[in-house]
Amino acid sequence: MDELNDNEIARLLRLKRYEQPPPGYFENFLHEFHRRQRDELLRQPLWRICWERAHDFMFRLDVRSLASYPAAVAAVLVCAAVISLKIYQEPQASNVALQSPSALSEAANSDGEWTLASPVATRIFRTQPLRSLDQSAQTHTRGRGIPPRYVLDSVPVSYVSSFRF
Amino acid sequence: MGFSFVAVPLFYAQEPTAITLSQQVKDLFRRMANAVVKIHGVDEHCEIAGTGFFIDPTGTLYTAYTVGGEADNFTIEFNGKKYPARQLLADIRSGTAILKIDAVTPALPIGKSEELEVATPVVSIGYPLDLPKTPSFGMVAGFDRKYLGRYFSTTHLRLNLPTQRGEAGAPLLNMKGEVVGIVVSSLENNSSCYAVPIEAAEKIRSDFVRFGEARHGWVGINVSEAPAPVEGSRAEMTEIMEATPAANSGVKPGDILLQVGRTKVTQPEDVLDASFYITAGDTVPITVVRDGKKLTFNVQAEIHPASERRPLIASPTINRAIPLKLDSEGRRTP
Repeated sequence: MDELNDNEIARLLRLKRYEQPPPGYFENFLHEFHRRQRDELLRQPLWRICWERAHDFMFRLDVRSLASYPAAVAAVLVCAAVISLKIYQEPQASNVALQSPSALSEAANSDGEWTLASPVATRIFRTQPLRSLDQSAQTHTRGRGIPPRYVLDSVPVSYVSSFRF
Repeated sequence: MGFSFVAVPLFYAQEPTAITLSQQVKDLFRRMANAVVKIHGVDEHCEIAGTGFFIDPTGTLYTAYTVGGEADNFTIEFNGKKYPARQLLADIRSGTAILKIDAVTPALPIGKSEELEVATPVVSIGYPLDLPKTPSFGMVAGFDRKYLGRYFSTTHLRLNLPTQRGEAGAPLLNMKGEVVGIVVSSLENNSSCYAVPIEAAEKIRSDFVRFGEARHGWVGINVSEAPAPVEGSRAEMTEIMEATPAANSGVKPGDILLQVGRTKVTQPEDVLDASFYITAGDTVPITVVRDGKKLTFNVQAEIHPASERRPLIASPTINRAIPLKLDSEGRRTP
């Protein structure tokens, strides 16, 4: 290739002064750039692309920064576990709600024993209080559920204000 | 060695005494408990529970005013059954009430509180809280006319005898099994209590039998302490109220009071007991000293002003006794 002297370069520049790109060239420039970039990547096999990505990720990974936040990592794991459990149990709760009251009372194990035949997921816990009102009435209440006022005042009621007769 | 000679006989001497005393209380409880009943009622606030006891075979029973005075819908637990009861009389001045059920009942004999002395042993039978019939043993601690600076309408028996809530209206028995008082209140730690002498309740019952109501009487004389005793008395008449039986009876201010009815007077407080047992309509002999001379005037008592304003008798269905509300101090009989 011959060396161009200054005069020839100046003449070429004068010729290029009036050249214009086609309409829409600058608007589509970025899009065309990305398209050509992807085309260039896809010329490689898929496994190579994955390998390169993994390789770059491992090199960029800062292990020390991860080790400095073990609590955060643990918290994230616990939250994930709880959320997954909750999502797992929600359908069972809806199943219980769909049962009739009689089915509920039948499902409640009166003697409160755990059996292998009643898996945890289908067990219904008893909701009645340990002592009913009638039972406590024997020791604390009477009649309408309110204990009576057992009378013995601290002062007698019969007073006089003066020595008059 | 010497201690043994003294202590051993004392031990063997005291043991039979304690056993005897315990046996007496057991015997009293066995014989008398059947006439003691639990009373349920409903006042304006809630259900109440107290104690009462039969005084005649027709189902008449005494209790405290705080139990039977201001409640209604009474129910009596007797012999394992519940009987509806009606109020015959409620008298705040004596602190007692009379109820009645329609049944044949046992009855406790009435004794005399005048025979009691300090340290005389007594027994009460009551229903503490929701517990069964319970005996309590104690002794007379004193005869008080005032408590916490206020005078009772009549002398009350102070007893070193443990009581619990629910035992208001319980009978106070002497060791012969006679009723000598009615438990009306406890003292601060429930180890002591006050009882109205049974004579006060009997006076009210006597009025009810005679007139169908309690008739507290008065003559209209105000008494204060004289500067010096005269004939052994410091009770000086300081005011003869107008338009009262005393106004035209001949007694004058300055007279020294010696006796009202059968009650001797030596100090102004003696007037309390003397006047408590006056019944309206009865003629009361009043003995005074004036210018060194003893004079006796017969005065016909009128009904006490407090009784006139509010009849103390209550109808069987409506309790018209003087109300005692929690938000204000209860009206007291003057």
